[in-house]
Amino acid sequence: MTDTKQHGIEAGSVQGRVLRPSDPAELAQAIELAFDYRGDVTLELTSGERIEGYVYNRNASEEVPTLQLFPKRETNPRQIPYAAIAAIIFSGRDTASGKSWEAWAAKKESQRRAEAQQAEGEARERGHL
Amino acid sequence: MAVPVSQMYTVAKYVLTQKVRGVKRYPLVLMLEPLFRCNLACAGCGKIQYPDHILDKRLTPEQCWAAADECGAPMVSIPGGEPLIHPEMPEIVRGLIARKKYVYLCTNAILLERKLGDYAPSKYLTFSIHMDGLREDHDHAVCRDGVYDVAVSAIRAALKRGFRVTTNTTLFDDADPKQVRRFFDEMMTLGVEGMMISPGYSYEKAPDQKHFLKRQRTKELFSQILSNRKQTWRFNQSPLFLEFLMGKVEYQCTPWGNPTYNIFGWQKPCYLLQDGYAATFQALLNDTEWDRYGTGRNEKCADCMVHCGYEASAVEDTFSSWSGFTRTVRATLQPARS
Repeated sequence: MTDTKQHGIEAGSVQGRVLRPSDPAELAQAIELAFDYRGDVTLELTSGERIEGYVYNRNASEEVPTLQLFPKRETNPRQIPYAAIAAIIFSGRDTASGKSWEAWAAKKESQRRAEAQQAEGEARERGHL
Repeated sequence: MAVPVSQMYTVAKYVLTQKVRGVKRYPLVLMLEPLFRCNLACAGCGKIQYPDHILDKRLTPEQCWAAADECGAPMVSIPGGEPLIHPEMPEIVRGLIARKKYVYLCTNAILLERKLGDYAPSKYLTFSIHMDGLREDHDHAVCRDGVYDVAVSAIRAALKRGFRVTTNTTLFDDADPKQVRRFFDEMMTLGVEGMMISPGYSYEKAPDQKHFLKRQRTKELFSQILSNRKQTWRFNQSPLFLEFLMGKVEYQCTPWGNPTYNIFGWQKPCYLLQDGYAATFQALLNDTEWDRYGTGRNEKCADCMVHCGYEASAVEDTFSSWSGFTRTVRATLQPARS
C-alpha cells in the first residue's frame, strides 16, 4: 500500500561501513544504525562466529540487552546479546538507497522506464504477475 | 450507507463494550501483513525495502489466525506487500471469516481477476483495491503503465461476482483536487461500495514551523477535495475522520487502534513507524512508550495524518460522548460544504 510511501530527504547510506565499537555507548549506537539499516549486516561475535542477516529488533533497555535478526541462510531468528558483538559490517545492499519518491521523480524518464521494466521483469520471473 | 448494517452494528457493539469495561486502549483494525513481497515496485514504498530472504518469508495461516484471536479487533486489514501473492491467502481469509472478522484484503488487483475463483463472496470479505487516481495519476504513482486498466477490469469482475469492493487512495500534497474529484466520480460509476482516502506519510527532519505548514497544506488539499461533496460519493470511513482531514477537528493519534502484526512480530508503535517489535499483543500494549509518539511528541509523527492512526481517534470521538455521536450523525447527513 502506498500509504507507506516515504517522501522526504534521504539520509546517506552506511552500506559498506565497518564499525568496531570501543565501549557500550558506541556499541548501542552501532546497533541502532544496524536496526535502521534496510539491508543485511554481518555481525562479528566475540566468539569468532560471523553471522550475516537482517536486524529487525533490539531491546537496549532490558537487563541483558539483545538484538534479534533473521540470519540470511536460516529459517528461524536468532537473539544475540549486545555484549557478544565485536563488530558490525554493513555488508548487504541498502535496499532503501535511492528509492525515495524524490529520487524517482528526479530521474530521467528513460531511466524510470528502464527501472520499471526491470522490476516488472523480476516480478514476472517469480510468477507474481 | 457504504458499510453493511451488520458491520456497523458489530463495530459499535465492540467499541461500546470496551467503554463499558473501561478499556483505555483497544484495537479496532488488525493490520495483518503476511508478507512483504510485492509485484509492484512503487517508488518510496518502505514496505518492500528488505533483502530478498526477508521478502521471501511468509506468515502461516495459523500465525495469522492466532494474531487475530490474540488481538480481538473486529476488523482485519490485510496489506503487504501484495497479499494475493501469498499461496495460502484463500485459507487465511477463510479462517478469519470463520472467526467472523470483517476482512479488508488490500490489493493492487494485478492478480485479482485470476484468483477470484479462490474466494467466495461474503459480507465479511471486501477487496480493497489500491487506486491512487485516474489512469495517468495511478500508473504514475505505482511506477508502471497499464495497472489502472487492469485494476478497473478486476473491480468490474469482482463486483459482477457479488464481492464487496472498495478502493483505497493515498494522496500527497501535489494531488490536483479537481482530478481527485473526477476520480471519485469514476469509482462511484464503476459501482464500488465505498472509497477510503488518506494522506500519505512523509517524514523530514525540519523545524516545527515547516511541519505546521505541511499539515496546513494537507488540510487545505482535503478541504478542496471534500468540500461540496457530491451525494453520489460514498466513503468507507468515519465522517469525523474526513472532518479531521479537512482541518475541522483536531485529534491526537491512536496508534494502538490499528496494531500491526507481521513476520517480525507486533510492530511498535504503529503501521508506519518501525521502532521495534513485541512478541505478544499484550506486550505491545504494555511495553510501548505511547506518550513518546503522536503530533507534538515525536518529529517522525509531525506531518502524519494517516488513517491508521487517526481513524481510530475519530471512532473513539463518536462513541465517547453524546456530543461526539451527534457530530457524527450531522457529518454523515450533512457533509461539509464550503
